Amino acid sequence: MSASTETGSPAGKTWKSKEEFLGCVILTDWILLVILFAVLLGSFHIHYMLLAGDWDFWIDFKDRRMWPTVTPIVAMCFAAAAQSFFWTRFRLPIGATTVVLALLIGEWINRYDNFWGWTFFPINLVFPSALIPMGFWLDIVLMISGSWLVTALLGGLGWGLLFYPINWPVLAQYHQATEIDGVLLTLADLIGFNYVRTGTPEYIRMVERGTLRTFGKDVVPVAAFFSGFISMLVYFLWWNVGKWFSTTKYLEIEEV
Amino acid sequence: MKSLNLQSMAKCATARVVRLWILGLVVAGALTTLPATPAAAHGERSQQAFLRMRTLNWYDVKWSKTELNVNDEMELTGKVHVFSGWPQAVARPGESFLNVGEPGPVLIRKSAFVGEVPVPRTFSMDVGKDYEYKIVLKARRQGRYHVHVQINVKDGGPIVGPGQWITIKGDMKDFTNPVTLLEGSTIDLETYGITWTYIYHFFWMAAAAAWILYWFMTKGIIVRYWQVKAGKGRELIGQDEKRIGAITLAAVLLAVLVFYAAANREFPRTLPMQAGLLTGISPIDEPRSTVAVQFKGGSYTVPGRELRIRAKVTNNGKEPIRLGEFTSAGLRFLNPDVFTTRPDFPDYLLADRGLSVSDPNPIAPGETRDLEVIVQDARFDIERLSDLAYDTDSQFGGLLLFFSPSGERQRAEIGGPVIPKFQAGATL
Repeated sequence: MSASTETGSPAGKTWKSKEEFLGCVILTDWILLVILFAVLLGSFHIHYMLLAGDWDFWIDFKDRRMWPTVTPIVAMCFAAAAQSFFWTRFRLPIGATTVVLALLIGEWINRYDNFWGWTFFPINLVFPSALIPMGFWLDIVLMISGSWLVTALLGGLGWGLLFYPINWPVLAQYHQATEIDGVLLTLADLIGFNYVRTGTPEYIRMVERGTLRTFGKDVVPVAAFFSGFISMLVYFLWWNVGKWFSTTKYLEIEEV
Repeated sequence: MKSLNLQSMAKCATARVVRLWILGLVVAGALTTLPATPAAAHGERSQQAFLRMRTLNWYDVKWSKTELNVNDEMELTGKVHVFSGWPQAVARPGESFLNVGEPGPVLIRKSAFVGEVPVPRTFSMDVGKDYEYKIVLKARRQGRYHVHVQINVKDGGPIVGPGQWITIKGDMKDFTNPVTLLEGSTIDLETYGITWTYIYHFFWMAAAAAWILYWFMTKGIIVRYWQVKAGKGRELIGQDEKRIGAITLAAVLLAVLVFYAAANREFPRTLPMQAGLLTGISPIDEPRSTVAVQFKGGSYTVPGRELRIRAKVTNNGKEPIRLGEFTSAGLRFLNPDVFTTRPDFPDYLLADRGLSVSDPNPIAPGETRDLEVIVQDARFDIERLSDLAYDTDSQFGGLLLFFSPSGERQRAEIGGPVIPKFQAGATL
């Protein structure tokens, strides 16, 4: 057998040309991107629904204290892990943005198909929390600093602080006041009351429950700082979880 | 030859992979978008018998309409007795919410009252008292639905009352939910703010997708991996890349500021969400019952679906009385000697010949009589109250309703342990 033929590649090589080789690399890149995106979408979605749950499902759970505290903290887990994977293995500054985009796409499919399409809850009751600018923030802080320590401290704090302001442009319209039968309500409260949820009674909402009363009405900044602080700690932990998940281990042939 | 095979395999694999991806996407799309069979029931029968019998006793439940057009309103009204022998296993109704059992918001709840008090929020009830409720519902989605009254009790769960089939005609596209804001304008809450919500979210999602694709298109994944592996990771993010990042971050933060300021400018007066427990709601204000009932024992014959209650009944009123009804868990067992006409009530919950007494003669004023009350009907079994025999707290509960010749009704609560009787060969 000759080393090469007119139609085949050189002996011992699979690719006929550099162009073909690069084409295969690009195709594999796309397949990897789609698989990674789907895996992150599914796993982060489950994680987020279990931990943020009702706070993210319903507009009348999105209060000034619990929602901006809990949601960024639980969202930080996958953002940090994905950054660890994309940054240390590929120097790609897209980890946090990718997971939050994947989550948002999964959530929107869920809210539109299931909540609206199957059970007719209006979208203004069930839209998810916005997270994308937080993803940009975390990725770009990591890219510019090149340090996961700086990203944990600065990025984590900003992650918590940004959450409420980036959601307010949608939320504000639902915090206008109305009155029903002599009771003062926001539109968010009223949507929750109007559109019956058999399994979600009003008392399971945790609207500004807690003992933090010193700061009067300014509970959002305090909640956001606390959320940012915990997000820092979560970042440290989950960066290492991501690192552990992105290790590659081989079995020696003798072990098989 | 070997390389030829590998090449052809690679080509086949590529084509096959693409086909599999397309097939997978089609299947995933179909699974998530095809219509699902609507749920017609809410699991009310699956709740334990003792829970349904000894927590809330529903009576006088009425649905003002059973056929509506989209946008029509109806009232769901009735009374509920909070059972004195509330089971220890269930949290007391200190925090309760008046709810509706329906398959999604096919009717929306426009208002809800307990007594005269509007209850869009959680309220408190006292054990042993009776409360009157009213829920105003507005038809939203066409179809035929089973609609229950329901009270959710914190740490106790949902307690479902009687349900009625409601038919809604028309088209949900025509549904509107006008609401007047405190500042005076009127909006349609059904669609309010949804377009802006989509625009805002999809703007950011498009920005994120552009960011990801930008970095993906510059050297992709595999080449970057090789470079990092070769110790050239620092070369991948140079000053140019950092500059792009800084500009992007500045643009993102500027956009956040602009959106935030615009929201504050457009909605200068906003409130925090309103929440908190409504307490002090008055129970039904009516004279104390003139009938005293003392439970003396009971049994339940499992194969016969027959509950026998022995009770000492004292009539402290001025008229003779007769036992006309036993109601429990939303079911009504009627004495045909007293109810000569069938009341308007869902058939699956109405046993119009399900009640008899050992002595059918009226109990005279001032008289005390030992009665044996027999409750027997297949509905007892169909609604799974027979499972009482398998509950950890095998006590029944309910209301006895007595009637005088003038039509006056007296209520008396009754409940206590019952002994199941199993007959040979019979099973539940």
